[in-house]
Amino acid sequence: MTCPYLEYRSEGDGRSFETARAYCSAAGRFVQPMRADLCNDRYDLSHAECEIYLNHESEESDRNGDER
Amino acid sequence: MNYHDYLAGEPLIVTVAPTGGVHGKEAHPNLPETPEEVAEAAAACEEAGASIVHLHARRGNGERAFSRERFQALTEAVRAATDDVIVQHSTGGTGVPLEKRLEPLRTDPAPEMASLDMGPVNRYQHLTSENPRGMVDALHDEMQVRGIKPEMEAFNPGHLNEVHAFLERADVADPPYVNVLLGGGTLTVPRPRNLFNLVENLPDGAVFNTLATGRHQLPLTTMGILLGGHVRVGFEDNLHYRRGERAESNAQLVERTREIAELLGRPVATPAEAREILGI
Repeated sequence: MTCPYLEYRSEGDGRSFETARAYCSAAGRFVQPMRADLCNDRYDLSHAECEIYLNHESEESDRNGDER
Repeated sequence: MNYHDYLAGEPLIVTVAPTGGVHGKEAHPNLPETPEEVAEAAAACEEAGASIVHLHARRGNGERAFSRERFQALTEAVRAATDDVIVQHSTGGTGVPLEKRLEPLRTDPAPEMASLDMGPVNRYQHLTSENPRGMVDALHDEMQVRGIKPEMEAFNPGHLNEVHAFLERADVADPPYVNVLLGGGTLTVPRPRNLFNLVENLPDGAVFNTLATGRHQLPLTTMGILLGGHVRVGFEDNLHYRRGERAESNAQLVERTREIAELLGRPVATPAEAREILGI
């Protein structure tokens, strides 16, 4: 399962590319190629090792807790 | 290698690492990613004075690739665009299993050189490129079978212990070639005294290369030239020409290195001279 915040975009973050690239919707920016392997759960990597994902999930969890 | 080699005007091997595997065009629009882009950069760098090109393969969207096929396409493009440059493949790969890290060694022809990471390095907040000894040995075994010269990468001073131990247990062709890295994180703290210290602790007879990241690339590679070693520059390690100003190209960084070396009395090595120095 890839990261729920992973998107492939040609434009965003004030920039554009000919080929769609990995974009982190949680951070609001294109990501480094090596980090994209984390986003895709590629090789021995998992997006659960990504601090951006972990922090965003934690913030979401806190927000949901507040709403309850 | 030492200061006397500098005084003797020994030719300087300039390696260029034009792309790396960590960042891409999101970091610098001129960072080459496709085989065609890397080949064009390699040719310009060879023209500017580089005799070794250190290669990482990418997917079509710029993401990391480790397959033999991707490296094959890359190396063929580079060889077609350059005259005589030495091709060095990366075998690094944070979070990548051994079988995939062996793939860059299996192109036809084999690369003349390949990097060999001598220990762990941290990445991001929760990630470590482990490089255990068993993996180092397995990668080197493949290099030996295929006649590939290893570039032993010492990310920090402790990795020189690993280099010494590795040379005791492995049959490495002379001269041993060690790349010392200085920069942030788990790399050697980028201070002049630490480069001196690294050089002092090299194995006897070793040829060394200085790699320093970011703003440390210029001063520490210049020191490496004076200490009789060789140097690596390029966008893998540094994207800037000077403070607040991005480099235009990899070739611009190579050109500056050549100018500094010649000003200091060391001519840059041709690929043929580099092969002789490295025993390839």
